[in-house]
Amino acid sequence: MPEQKIIFKGIPASPGIVKGEVKIVKSFDDTLKINGEIIVTSFLTPDFVNLIKRNSKIKGIITKNGGITCHAAIVAREYKIPYIAGVGEATEKLKNNMTVILDGGKGIIYETS
Amino acid sequence: MGGKELFMKLHKFLKIESIEEIRKYKLLHPATIFIFDFNKQKKEVDAFLRNKNFVTIRTDKKNNLYFCPCDLRCPRSRARQSIKEFISKGYVVILQRYIPIRKDRKVSGNILILKNYILVELMGKGPLTWLNRNGKIEEQIKFKKRNLKEIEHFGKRLIKRGELTDILKLVKNVPNYKILEFTLMTEGYYFWQIKNDETAKKLE
Repeated sequence: MPEQKIIFKGIPASPGIVKGEVKIVKSFDDTLKINGEIIVTSFLTPDFVNLIKRNSKIKGIITKNGGITCHAAIVAREYKIPYIAGVGEATEKLKNNMTVILDGGKGIIYETS
Repeated sequence: MGGKELFMKLHKFLKIESIEEIRKYKLLHPATIFIFDFNKQKKEVDAFLRNKNFVTIRTDKKNNLYFCPCDLRCPRSRARQSIKEFISKGYVVILQRYIPIRKDRKVSGNILILKNYILVELMGKGPLTWLNRNGKIEEQIKFKKRNLKEIEHFGKRLIKRGELTDILKLVKNVPNYKILEFTLMTEGYYFWQIKNDETAKKLE
């Protein structure tokens, strides 16, 4: 990844590199407005996991908790959505509409210039 | 019911097949019976419930490994009614010996078998669904499969490494891309189920 500033490192749960705007998701209602963003949330509960299966517009996923063997990670890999789990400060430090690059294979989130 | 008939009945019940797979690898799991017809299996259920204050009731539906309802600590007095209700909703019931969720429980977690590595994700006390469904992971360790040498570690150390590698020795020859769910109690370990995870190839 050329000359990009690393914002966070987490657990690489589903590989793939995407660039997109951040969408903080605090409730299930927030998920209904997703349109091609990278979603940032505490964790993907079963409701969210079902959403992944239905909504092909999720570009990437960053969660505060979770890991590689959780249901959410398995589904993200199945649907080829890059996913970084266990990013402790993600929901506090990332803001809506920030543009980031997510490298799900390395577990790194980069700031874009 | 004959073996073949029973097999056909339970085919594609993924949790049940995974418990059968645990048995195939000779790994310990809590005493378990499968119930698909309460009336026909009433005697079997009664015999299982005898002398138990609590049981664990899990459920399974064809082709659905995730998000089936369960009652992890069901009193014996309520068990028969719960079993009937789950069956009336189209589930097969997995009735198991109750293993305490907090008392005497050291850790629970998942072991993912990769081609050259074994990845372990652990949580402390509590039901394993907290890890699988809610992402509660307190420790993650990656081992080289060949010599079980630890090569990566995140989080706090929940148990002595030797206790974990003793369990890994039992499963290192399980085929690749399977996730084994287990709990370590003070009395020993139990495996709950084995899931296929072909998506894990992407992590190699």
